[in-house]
Amino acid sequence: MQPTIQYKTQKIAYWFFAACMLLFALQLIYGFILGFARMGYDGLHEWIPFNVARATHTNLLVVWLLTGFMGAAYFIIPEESERELWMPKLAWVQLVSLLLVGVVAIVGYHVNWWEGRKFLEIPRELDWLVVVNVLTFLLIIFMTIWKGKRKTTTAMVLFFGLLSAALLYLPGMITFENLTFDSFFRWWVVHLWVEGVWELIMGAILSFLLIKLTGIDREVIEKWLYVIVGFTFLSGILGTGHHYYFTGTPRYWLMIGGIFSALEPLAFLGMAIYALAMARRGGRKAPNRIALMWTLGCAVMSFVGAGFLGFAHTLPQVNIWTHGTLVTAMHGHLAFWGAYAMIVLAMISYAMPELTGRSMFKGWKAEWAFWTTNIGMLGMTGAFAVMGVAQVYLERKGGMDFLEVQESLEVHAFGLVLAAALLTLGVVLFIKNFLEYGLPVEVDSSSNSSGGGSVLATPQRPQED
Amino acid sequence: MLTKSQAKAFFLGGTALCGVAFLLLTLDTLAQMPARSNQDAMSEEVVRGHMIWNKNNCMGCHTILGEGAYYAPELTQVVERRGKEWIAAFLEDPESFYPGRRKMIKYDFYDPAIVGAEEAARNKADTIAFLEWVGNIDTNGFPAEPDLVQGAATQEIDPTKLEGAPEMFRNICFGCHQVGGQGGNVGPALDGVSERFEEDYLRQWIADPQAVKPGTTMPKFPMDEATLDAIVQYLQTL
Repeated sequence: MQPTIQYKTQKIAYWFFAACMLLFALQLIYGFILGFARMGYDGLHEWIPFNVARATHTNLLVVWLLTGFMGAAYFIIPEESERELWMPKLAWVQLVSLLLVGVVAIVGYHVNWWEGRKFLEIPRELDWLVVVNVLTFLLIIFMTIWKGKRKTTTAMVLFFGLLSAALLYLPGMITFENLTFDSFFRWWVVHLWVEGVWELIMGAILSFLLIKLTGIDREVIEKWLYVIVGFTFLSGILGTGHHYYFTGTPRYWLMIGGIFSALEPLAFLGMAIYALAMARRGGRKAPNRIALMWTLGCAVMSFVGAGFLGFAHTLPQVNIWTHGTLVTAMHGHLAFWGAYAMIVLAMISYAMPELTGRSMFKGWKAEWAFWTTNIGMLGMTGAFAVMGVAQVYLERKGGMDFLEVQESLEVHAFGLVLAAALLTLGVVLFIKNFLEYGLPVEVDSSSNSSGGGSVLATPQRPQED
Repeated sequence: MLTKSQAKAFFLGGTALCGVAFLLLTLDTLAQMPARSNQDAMSEEVVRGHMIWNKNNCMGCHTILGEGAYYAPELTQVVERRGKEWIAAFLEDPESFYPGRRKMIKYDFYDPAIVGAEEAARNKADTIAFLEWVGNIDTNGFPAEPDLVQGAATQEIDPTKLEGAPEMFRNICFGCHQVGGQGGNVGPALDGVSERFEEDYLRQWIADPQAVKPGTTMPKFPMDEATLDAIVQYLQTL
């Protein structure tokens, strides 16, 4: 079977996705180290203490998601710009150097070489290499769009999302002697990434997938894309305030953060309604049903995890008790899974048949991977919720000793690990399915002019607004 | 019906408006933060303590100002809660305080046997200075006082009960036990302890808790006979 990609440089995306799978698997292993430590089994403490496992777990997440975004961009941009990637060899260099920096950083964590700043643990020396790497990536994407035949809204939103993410990395590289300043600008990176510009990236990938999978007219989908990212920024920028309640910042943030955070679920709700409505209106069956499941699942789960559970603990009256407890871990896990892990997995599910020309999405593995990962993650969220709420009432409101409370939660950490095992089963199936697709096939560019990268069963019909 | 260009205008306009508002609020916040965080009181020790905090990723387990990993206690007001001496003793050998329970990394730079007495003392003092400075940041009321505690709310605070307590008791024991409605909440309150236990039993217990009750969370503290006597005598007055 012939692959349906139109541009042979798109196949670079395959290697980014393969790196994703590897890093994701590694992230899960470190997650289990953390889970077992919470159950009271910290036998690895001498070699991999909790803070090492934790930094590795969260950084691997960030790196595999960014790798996925980059792979998605290398896949999407040629199609949107209707030309091959600019300097594809440079994209290879960029992938290899990204992985090298990642590996050095993670090995460094194990020998106490890091900065103790949550999510931004990468040492300053390596930060600069990250900057150079991301600039290289952005240059390739920019030049491809610049020289391309057309500049679509989807491509532009994706590019500006990636560019802003790169720019917002910089405030996290300033050194402050005062802890409160350190914390203030750390959230410029972390919050404005995940509740700001990353949503541009997610929205653009979502819009690309919906165009491909539902057959709805691009103009309609892109119009609503603007509305959704508009609501995201309207709520998300000032919503940064929910990190500025209790960290030495003025009291007015309680009001501003509270109000704008309360609006954040609306942006996610809008995204979920938009995706579901487009899929309904499309009304035609894309053969790659799994890619559509991940796409719609992403829109819905990001509302539940990022929108609903975020709202559940960002009201200042609630946050005064839940701030700094496992309630944060509850929200964090489902939010990252729903919004970002699922969009990358949706993109991989869509791109693999296109890249390899094989339709492995029809087997049971792909479907089981979807359900077991999602049920597993919901179970983990439930376990974190029980632990978090118990911690709030016993320790924060009841005044019990921290360690006494944590030891009473060990049984729930067992539930957490069980649910994580289910998630892991699903991820194993996903990776197995990924491997069974095999390597991307060489594109014969002369015979493939009508494919359009589309897996639609029928040709497009005109759409009304 | 909404057109694409209207949608684009909504996105760009809304983003610009919120972006400008955020930047203006940031300027005001940056102007207020030095006073709210007592930047004047940020001595060299505090800054060095902050560097120790960062360099060893302490927030990879602990939380501070509520930010961190929820695996180890919130440290924003730890100096107020435990006292400096308790923290200094704890840092030197964390596991001896909570034997067989959740572990903290034992850092060489706090250990006089490894880096020398002077260096270890300095690192401990820097860490404690940093934590003490953090405890004085205006955090808009975080962490909130527990509001579901009936016992603590009804017990009268009686500071006179602590009068006559030996220094060791104030610095170490008090970090976990309450006397007269004040002190830590790890071990039981010690009011009336002399009515519950014989003097000899208390002496054996403090000298080697594990020998009396294997598996107990009460740590064994190195102390000379005179200090042990003083503490037992003091407990008799409660």
